[in-house]
Amino acid sequence: MTLNVPEKQVTAFIGPSGCGKTTLLRCFNRMNDLVDVARIGSGQIRIDGINIYDPQVDVIELRKRVGMVFQKSNPFPKSIYENIAFGLRLHGIRQKAKLDEAVERSLRGSAIWDEVKDRLHKSALELSGGQQQRLCIARAIAVEPDVILMDEPCSALDPLATTKVEELIHELKEKYTIVIVTHNMQQAARVSDHTAFFYLGKLVEFAETQKIFMNPSNPQTEAYVSGRFG
Amino acid sequence: MATEQPPEPAVSHHVRKQLLAARKFRLLGRDRDWWIKLFFEGNAAISVVVLLLIVFTLFREAAGFMPGNRHNLEIYRRAGLEYVDILKRQTTEYAALGRQLSAVRLAWLQRLRAEGLDLPAANARLAAIDALDGRLADAIATHEEIRSEMTDHASSVKERVTVGMDMAEVRKNLLGGIAGSDAAHGAKLQAGADAVVVEEIDFTAEVNVLTTRFPDIQAANRVLAGELNEILAALPHSGDGVIDKQLTRLGDRLAAFRKGIPEWEGELARWRADRPVSFLEAFNAFAFGREWVTASFWQDWYGVLPLFFGSVFISVLALAIAIPLGICAALYVNQVAPRWEQGLIKPYIEFISAIPSVVLGFFGIAMLGETLRQFSQVAWLSWVPGFPMQERLNGFTAAALLALMAIPTIFTLAEDALQNVPKALREASLALGATRLQTILHIILPAALSGITAAILLGFGRVIGETMVVLLCAGNRIAIPDLSAGLGVAFQPVHTMTGIVAQEMGEVVRGSLHYRALFMVGCLLFLLSLGINYGAQKIVRRYRLPQS
Repeated sequence: MTLNVPEKQVTAFIGPSGCGKTTLLRCFNRMNDLVDVARIGSGQIRIDGINIYDPQVDVIELRKRVGMVFQKSNPFPKSIYENIAFGLRLHGIRQKAKLDEAVERSLRGSAIWDEVKDRLHKSALELSGGQQQRLCIARAIAVEPDVILMDEPCSALDPLATTKVEELIHELKEKYTIVIVTHNMQQAARVSDHTAFFYLGKLVEFAETQKIFMNPSNPQTEAYVSGRFG
Repeated sequence: MATEQPPEPAVSHHVRKQLLAARKFRLLGRDRDWWIKLFFEGNAAISVVVLLLIVFTLFREAAGFMPGNRHNLEIYRRAGLEYVDILKRQTTEYAALGRQLSAVRLAWLQRLRAEGLDLPAANARLAAIDALDGRLADAIATHEEIRSEMTDHASSVKERVTVGMDMAEVRKNLLGGIAGSDAAHGAKLQAGADAVVVEEIDFTAEVNVLTTRFPDIQAANRVLAGELNEILAALPHSGDGVIDKQLTRLGDRLAAFRKGIPEWEGELARWRADRPVSFLEAFNAFAFGREWVTASFWQDWYGVLPLFFGSVFISVLALAIAIPLGICAALYVNQVAPRWEQGLIKPYIEFISAIPSVVLGFFGIAMLGETLRQFSQVAWLSWVPGFPMQERLNGFTAAALLALMAIPTIFTLAEDALQNVPKALREASLALGATRLQTILHIILPAALSGITAAILLGFGRVIGETMVVLLCAGNRIAIPDLSAGLGVAFQPVHTMTGIVAQEMGEVVRGSLHYRALFMVGCLLFLLSLGINYGAQKIVRRYRLPQS
């Protein structure tokens, strides 16, 4: 398969369970390295023209440039401030003033600043599910990556929290390239510019979101988006 | 309005019979579930009751210790043993001065030999100090003589007290038998009881025999002070900086002792045989006493401090070895090792706890102690504090083996704690570009810290209660180690609370003071373990991660 993820836009991966969307997503920042069973057999993934599976690529650097938001919110059992500052410290930022500023910027960037500004040093685990997920997004953007991978970021959230995260994705695409895996086709239609439909481990169709949902060229795609299977 | 009755549902006879069958079993008016419940309840109840009984027995047996020890100390005072011990402490302190003088002489001799003098020539140079050595020993001779006489007297008084108590016991037993027997036998018992002589000891008169020696002691002290003055004046100079420094230090100590003579005298003068022994005094003699002496002809002491110190000391030493090993192994297995290695290491470490402790102790004596001692004698290791080791069996030998026993506990519990850290945290950290080491140090370890702390505490509990290994390998010397040896203190023999109970419980007279003292030690151990386990539970509950 060949897939071109366009810069500074939102690309959605859709498809039934077990079709390999998440696995593909996790290949983009080599999180699959952690799982013994999954290995890239052949083919290349290039970011800015560099094959990220090249043995010369430093996987730590790669992950600093390709951030990730997970299906279930997973803040560290630390304070809200420390959750954000952790990534920044990994980048070698040590001065308190710089940390403070970056923490505020990323919390504002993920539209959660007003809700947490008075309790930055309270545990992140006291936040609600939706707030936790936005905190995780803030944590990912704090280190200013080029790409943000989102693995079903709203699947554990209620509709209201989902709306907030979706609005956030809209704002974020001005600065970041976003790849989002979702089960929710309405969500894909709402937030993405391009959509890729996967089925049984194969890329069936990749096109602009408008086209995928209004006028798909592949009958399988049409069957899936119109809800006849999957 | 008339309504139609619905027809009676047809229930087959067969179904009815089945439905009612289950309720058929009844015993003493109770159904089967009740009996099954009783069975399980009973099992739980037995465990609870047995534990309660053990705790109750432990405390009941120990309860008699305090009044017993108070009585023990009372006799010590009233029979004048305490008075003699004041003098004894003075002479003991004096003896230390003599040893210091000998040490200085030895150092000086080595110095002279190093300068190239042969032995006769060197000894000739040391004639002055040898003369002092003799004078120093002679100066205390009168004290020793008085002390020896007083000791004989006081111990004979104490002997008579003990015999008197035994006789009173015999008499009481005989008289007690009269009530339950017929007239003829009763008369015989009465006659027997009358024949038992219980000596009434006039403590005041006996102690007077001791205190009338006070003027003699005063006179001896004046002579001693004069002698010390002369010795101080005659203290030679060596002309060697190092030796001179040692001589000055010796001189200071001699002067200090001479200045202290009136204090010793004052203590003797102030001493009163009839001063009552307070309960607090009896308690302090146990809790803070530095001596554990039993079956002594002079005086028995039950001071738990050296044993307590030994137990805690060995445990801390063992933990200092076991914590890094156990936790690092847990981190490796949980975070780094591939699956096949996990499957190998985990059961292997857990297997350590299957080794019987007596086998480990045996190994400690036969192999570890001997190997360590030989190792400590290697010349280029002499910079290690405590090397070369004086004793083959010491605190370190025991601690090394105890560490081995604590490792499975710490490893397993720490590994569980790490396992309980959600995988998602690790992924989140790695996805941010953290290295594996950064993830472990900054995310995984803090998240598992409460569990790891609990693991350490439980390891401590495991170690402090261990008996066999310390009994076999710790060297069993009942004394607080010489802390001035710095880190070398680890290589000194110690005794432990568990060890003393195991060692002495078998040969102790049931109900005696010694017996109760051992139960007190048991109680202390019990409370210590209880505290540690309670603390561990508290920590785990308090800092448990929210389960997601």
